Amino acid sequence: MIPIEAVLGLGLIVFTIGLAGVLVRKNLVIMLMSLELLLNGVNIILAGLGRHLNSPRGSIFALFVIIMAVSEAAVGFALVLSYFRHKKSYDTDALNDLKG
Amino acid sequence: MITLAVFSLFGVLAVVSAVLVVVQKNAMHSVLYLAFTVLATAGVFFTLQAEYLGAIQILVYGGGIVVLYIFVIIIVNLKEIVPEQRRLIPKIFLVGVPVLLCAEVVTLVLRTGFPAAPPREDGAGFKEMAEMFLSSYLLPFEAASVLLLAVLVGAIVVARRKHIDDPD
Repeated sequence: MIPIEAVLGLGLIVFTIGLAGVLVRKNLVIMLMSLELLLNGVNIILAGLGRHLNSPRGSIFALFVIIMAVSEAAVGFALVLSYFRHKKSYDTDALNDLKG
Repeated sequence: MITLAVFSLFGVLAVVSAVLVVVQKNAMHSVLYLAFTVLATAGVFFTLQAEYLGAIQILVYGGGIVVLYIFVIIIVNLKEIVPEQRRLIPKIFLVGVPVLLCAEVVTLVLRTGFPAAPPREDGAGFKEMAEMFLSSYLLPFEAASVLLLAVLVGAIVVARRKHIDDPD
């Protein structure tokens, strides 16, 4: 039997690593990967709580989170590609003008 | 007991490879560690008896998103990336804020008493979940399919070149 505190702690640690990655890194692709880590941490917490409360809602919510993650990755990559064609760079420091 | 051991193994693997995703300089190495994290998370889902979620995690993340990341890194030329620079003090600050947030929430979780889980009969959760997914959550399900269609169209519109015969 897995204690619920361990599951919540694991999810929170993965979430924290992802948040630190989004804040610290400047490479756009690695920032998108860190976003996936954030959503994975949330999914772990949802699955653990669904198991603890003996309810299928945890898995259902986690499935919706996965759908959101896929959408975010697809649109994010389209934006990265279009940005790379303009600037020839991944770095967020080059994102400093409003003109296309 | 053995479930707890397997859970700890996959949990430690997930945390270690998540740290490696963030600290790698080479984006391709980050993607490979991301694949490792995703598979370890799927293992965590299996130990939590969310088998369907684990299978979807392997199929969608391991088979779809990770491959998409690899393609994008191949398409944009890696050699053109300039090394990123950030000063040390803002970096420490930016790592410290999430760590403090995590410590705070962990303290709250440890102080909260969770009621003991009710006993669960095996095999019932899957059927229950499928029925609930297609009855109570039918509207969000349909909304998600509309979202995916919108994402499909939006990604094509954003990523396409303006003129087909334009080399750039």
